Amino acid sequence: MGLTLALGIFFGALALASALAVVATRHAIHSALWFITHLLCLACIYGLLNAPLLAVLQVMVYSGAVMMLFLFAIMILDASVLPALPRGKGALQALGGVLVALCLLAPGLAWLQLEGRGMSQALPEASADGSTAAVARVLFGSYLYPFELVSVLLLVALIGVMVLASRKLDSAESRP
Amino acid sequence: MSLAFVLLLSLLIFCTGVAGVLIRRDPIVLFICIEMMFNAANLAFVGIARATGLVEAQAIAFLVIAVAAAEVAVGLAIIIAIFRSQHDADVDHVSSLKG
Repeated sequence: MGLTLALGIFFGALALASALAVVATRHAIHSALWFITHLLCLACIYGLLNAPLLAVLQVMVYSGAVMMLFLFAIMILDASVLPALPRGKGALQALGGVLVALCLLAPGLAWLQLEGRGMSQALPEASADGSTAAVARVLFGSYLYPFELVSVLLLVALIGVMVLASRKLDSAESRP
Repeated sequence: MSLAFVLLLSLLIFCTGVAGVLIRRDPIVLFICIEMMFNAANLAFVGIARATGLVEAQAIAFLVIAVAAAEVAVGLAIIIAIFRSQHDADVDHVSSLKG
């Protein structure tokens, strides 16, 4: 359990640091690369939490397919026209800082709440419950209809993207 | 690891995503921050699945990943369509829904 805790703290800290780097770096491409680091750290934490299927899916779907889409979009959009994080200490940034501080206050309060409910105890020994077979049994059992609906959703998204991509933008010339 | 640790990490990542959406003006980074919030929710689901032994939470996290993938595809297509029609990628300037 000691090794799991140490690895959890390591990957958790790395995930949080890369999440902050996503927000703090100035350019979209750096944000995307930091986000891939973040996703890989989360995949490691999923592995530690006895969820091997989600760990693999996180790497394949998120840091593979989704981030490839993001990098494609950045490539198509020509990164030089993307607005970078403003340098000056504008009002927007000050507001953001205050909000971030407020957000960071909330976890402390939540921690105090959780302390009293036994949630700070170490997790019990891992069983076979998190295995891929168990997830599949639930997914194709009581969650069959949501699962099939997801395939319809993906199909609709596919058609929608094709329509959006192939549409002729005639109005672009007429606009000022 | 305790459940409180996982939930705290999830909360901090979610707050980072919220802050990113509020601070950044670049639509791509905005989208990445939204994905970060999805991931924070997923982390909470997985932690709860581990702590309570409910595999259903992992199934929900699986569905969240699928929905997020569909959302990214459509969202990025919309961003690129807006960019092609307006030649501007600043979310503060794109205030019109007319194509």
